Amino acid sequence: MLVALVGGFLLIFLLFHMTANLFILRHDDGQWYSAFTHFMGTNWVVKIFEIVLLGVIALHILLTLWLALTNRMARPTRYHQPSKSKTHTTSKLMVWTGILIFACLIFHFTDFYFVKLGWVKGEYMVKTEKLQESEAAQMQQFAMQMGMTPEELLQEMEAEAANYGNEIDGQSTKEYIDHLREQLEVSNILQRAYGEGNISDDGKWIRHLTYDDRQLLRRVMPESDPEPDFYYMAREKFTRPYIVIVYLIFFAIVFMHLRHAFPSAFQTLGLNNYKYNNLIEVLGKIYTWVVILGFAAVPILVFLGL
Amino acid sequence: MHFTLHIWRQENRHAKGHFEKYEIDNISAECSFLEMLDQLNEKLINDHIAHPVCFDNDCREGICGMCGLYINGRPHGNDDGVTTCQLHMRRFNDGDEIWVEPWRAKAFPIIKDLVVDRTAFDKIIQAGGYISATTGGVPDANNILVAKHIADQSMDAAACIGCGACVAACKNASAMLFVGAKVSHLNLLPQGKPEALDRVHNMVVKMDELGFGSCTNTYACEAECPKQIKRQNIARLNRGWIGQMFGRDRRK
Repeated sequence: MLVALVGGFLLIFLLFHMTANLFILRHDDGQWYSAFTHFMGTNWVVKIFEIVLLGVIALHILLTLWLALTNRMARPTRYHQPSKSKTHTTSKLMVWTGILIFACLIFHFTDFYFVKLGWVKGEYMVKTEKLQESEAAQMQQFAMQMGMTPEELLQEMEAEAANYGNEIDGQSTKEYIDHLREQLEVSNILQRAYGEGNISDDGKWIRHLTYDDRQLLRRVMPESDPEPDFYYMAREKFTRPYIVIVYLIFFAIVFMHLRHAFPSAFQTLGLNNYKYNNLIEVLGKIYTWVVILGFAAVPILVFLGL
Repeated sequence: MHFTLHIWRQENRHAKGHFEKYEIDNISAECSFLEMLDQLNEKLINDHIAHPVCFDNDCREGICGMCGLYINGRPHGNDDGVTTCQLHMRRFNDGDEIWVEPWRAKAFPIIKDLVVDRTAFDKIIQAGGYISATTGGVPDANNILVAKHIADQSMDAAACIGCGACVAACKNASAMLFVGAKVSHLNLLPQGKPEALDRVHNMVVKMDELGFGSCTNTYACEAECPKQIKRQNIARLNRGWIGQMFGRDRRK
């Protein structure tokens, strides 16, 4: 019963996940999707929901594994002949499709979710406004006015600092220089971004940051808060055929799982009767097809370059 | 007709069982599966080949629920809505190999060969499959008003003969269809209503206690039920279970 409740929760989540994914298909240079991922990455309600969701997934897995185990124990001696009763195959394979989904989910998580947690390296982006107002940007601008490169400016300032002895504005010279050097590195990121045109079309994001860039930004200016660039990462990944194939297999297995899950949840909760059984069955079909086609559309269309 | 039979032989509950192969000839297409086994037993006895094969049976009209064999991967064999005694040999082809197994479930231990102990079902009934008030004599018609469609549903559920095919067919050896049918047939009617929640609770708890599995909605039970009891009875049982979680009086 709990399995059905928890599974029902996951069914609703999938619909939401699928809708968000469709944003990737927009050719808006990630305007919508980045806004979405930014919201998902920063909103505290979402953070609580994330923990709940992971808990729910864990609960669903543990409950069903326990269920499968006790159910197996209810028949200690197996039949010699395999069952030929007229049933849906999907309903008998729930444990196996479930385990496969879990395996694919780990693959999926290393692609995206673990990047957010910082366990896996990916591509990152940062809000342009955060960097534009920074010390690094000012330093760069100042260098430009002086007609120097930022490096030259740094050397100049270092030389000047040496004249002040060990202390500048209550801060040791060494710390001051290190601070300047870090700012220089940040300004390099900025310069590279403008030089290579790594700015999103709407000018809101500086993208194509590496893991090292992210670490630097997090250290030097934590308030800039670089985030994973899921829009770009997804589009890039789905140009590789093997990833597209793995994902399509993933969706096929999810399809099998959902096909049984939807009507089954109603049955377990007793939310059906003779009159509504057909309706639930049809709704289940529509739900499953919509969700799976919605999910599959992203890798397929991105791969085809549409 | 000629058949090659692989029959499960097991001396008693604790002995190790095995399949024994028997050939049988001159079987009429019109005879039932049990009559075919009768002929086999006569042959086994007369020719001093082995002890006869033990199997349960009683009315041989498909209404008592005694017989039940797992034949070629299906409880009650390759036909819909019949018990083993109503399965006829015309459902097979001449020369077929037939595998005959007993019901297999932790809650149904084997007594001998193909006979299993279905006391577990009786225990479930004892836990709540009855009405504790005496109903008295036959009431006048229309004294107790019951809507036609409710009476029909109750009657359909009451068709359950407790043969155990649902448990045998279920991949989890779950008895939900049986319990669902027994609960539905009483809970739908006015006489069963006062004890409805207790009934659901007691019968389900007893079912779990006896070692039956859980329902994972595969509906093999519905496909194999000789009385074609519907899965909606399981849904009603589930609904009742949720109802008893909130509505049952626990003060007793």
